[in-house]
Amino acid sequence: MLRELWAARHLLVILARKDFYVRYRRTVLGVVWAVGVPLVQAVVLALVFTHVVGIGRSYAASDHEYAVFLYAALVPWNYIANAGPTASTAIVDNVALAGKIYFPRALPVLVTAASAIYPFTIGIVLLLLMSVVVGSGIGISFLLVIPGAALAMLFVVSIGLCLSALHVYFRDIRYIVMAVLSVGFYLTPIIYPLEKLQDSHHVLRDLLAAGPAAGPIEIFRAATVGSDSALGLAVTACLVWCVVFGGVGFWLQCRRDRVFVDLL
Amino acid sequence: MSVPEDRPVISLRDVSKRYVKYDDQPMLANALKLRARSRRSTLLALDNIDLDIAKGESVGVLGRNGAGKSTLLQLLCGVTAPSTGVVSVRGKVAPLISVGVGFHPELTGRENVYVNGTILGMKSAEIDRRLDSIIDFAEVEEFIDTPVKFYSSGMFVRLGFSVAVAADPDVLLVDEVLAVGDFAFQLKCFARMQEIRAQGTTIVVVSHNINVIRGFCDRALVMSHGQKVFDGATFDAISEFYNVVGREAKEDLYGVGDLATHGADIESLSLHHAGTGEPVLHFDTGDEVLLRLRVKATTDIANPVMGMTITTESGTVVYSDTNLMTPFPPLQTGEIGEYEMRLVLALPSGGFLATASFHSADGGNSVLLGRAVPVTFYVSGRDLTSGVADLGGSFRRAGP
Repeated sequence: MLRELWAARHLLVILARKDFYVRYRRTVLGVVWAVGVPLVQAVVLALVFTHVVGIGRSYAASDHEYAVFLYAALVPWNYIANAGPTASTAIVDNVALAGKIYFPRALPVLVTAASAIYPFTIGIVLLLLMSVVVGSGIGISFLLVIPGAALAMLFVVSIGLCLSALHVYFRDIRYIVMAVLSVGFYLTPIIYPLEKLQDSHHVLRDLLAAGPAAGPIEIFRAATVGSDSALGLAVTACLVWCVVFGGVGFWLQCRRDRVFVDLL
Repeated sequence: MSVPEDRPVISLRDVSKRYVKYDDQPMLANALKLRARSRRSTLLALDNIDLDIAKGESVGVLGRNGAGKSTLLQLLCGVTAPSTGVVSVRGKVAPLISVGVGFHPELTGRENVYVNGTILGMKSAEIDRRLDSIIDFAEVEEFIDTPVKFYSSGMFVRLGFSVAVAADPDVLLVDEVLAVGDFAFQLKCFARMQEIRAQGTTIVVVSHNINVIRGFCDRALVMSHGQKVFDGATFDAISEFYNVVGREAKEDLYGVGDLATHGADIESLSLHHAGTGEPVLHFDTGDEVLLRLRVKATTDIANPVMGMTITTESGTVVYSDTNLMTPFPPLQTGEIGEYEMRLVLALPSGGFLATASFHSADGGNSVLLGRAVPVTFYVSGRDLTSGVADLGGSFRRAGP
């Protein structure tokens, strides 16, 4: 299985690039949108939290800081929320190709995770600019976004391998993923810091930190606004999720690889 | 590739493929009714197939729809695994199945060549090197940087075929792709495939088009209900194929149904052996046949006439005729009429379609009243004849 995936690496690169370009075809601004959409999001966040509402002050040192704090979480979250559902349905969605020619069925999952790297990178660059312009600047710790991004990708790949295989048998997965994501936005420390819960709701804090998406987010925070005391727990928990989902997913893909197509 | 000559390139041992047909109902609803299991049924698409194909052979696969041809191809290109048995295919396999698979309409021809070429196992450098010849062969030079959605269907197919054959496979799997594109390009494709064959590539062709298999394969299999019922020389295989379809077609003896009702209901269209009067669908060249149309009038028809057309499976009209100038006697509302056309089947081996229509003649013009669902029938012809008609040629030495 690994050998087959390795043999298909050229295909992975070319399909990921195709995915990215196709998305912006027929738009007037083209690839500019890949920068434009996250840029608008970042500017809105910065404006709203520095000039309109004062909610940030209770969570962060200043409103400016809160805007960065929020965007640092949104960059990895956007990646997971965009690539996750697509990866979870990747096998079924590629039925036209899969029925005609063999390639490792896990490949579309990797393609999804890979093609979303482009907007992810743009988000990271914008985060860098925002930290410098709006926040309190950056240091060498900003390099932590690299392991943060790697963890986010690992998570998307693990969950994609597992859910895309299950999705072949249970088409409900698509809707479950959508539902879990909308709840997950609030159960993941995106708009609030875990630290706030440390004294009052110790158990709740630990539970939230153990949520699968908290790991990359906390690393991104450590890279920009400073680390949370829950960082270690969050990263460990995320790795455990990756091992569990990735392990089950890999096992399913190895075993069922050649018969998925019969059920598509 | 250094494939030893003595070992077969393709080898199937006791291969069966069983599909489980799931119910369309949601799983949960089924589980609640506690009868989910009982509503599953299985379908044996391939039943205990043994097959060896040596390097450089080109083998045709014949069979009616549902005989297991496509499943066999899917197993050969590794898209699906057998339920039991072992499939082994050595070397690089390129399926020429629905060419243009993986073409994205928004991408340009050039971009699609790269994507599709990579899917077929080519490296970027290889595609760079072959790009010009691919474009040249497909005859799409001036459109290569246009998104393929603006391509005509012919251009689309040409580019797809061109990429697939450029992939330089050890095993080429061909499934009904040559039926598309214009005639000149088809000839070009044939020529290219002959070249590939001459290079020692192993080729498996699945086609309803007997002429493709006849012109291309030394050996052919006949499949029926998932079993290999014949494996041997192409000519013998073709006649065996028509015997099989003739037997199997019994259940579809009557074409029942009406494609256009404006005053008459077509009750049935059937073919009968003129000698015995029996309804059959498998004939020999030169047989006398009765095409029988049964009609129920829903209005009064003063001058009923019938039209009958025989076409090849690919749609070429072989013969068309009508009794427009000599109508049948009038038919009253509610009355049933049975009409017949007698003809001699001067046809070569192949599958043909008979279609019939019912009209009312109105001074040289005709008004369509009903059109029958076409009936497919098969002819076993004389060996070595091909074409759309058998004109009964004979040979002798005429000179000194």
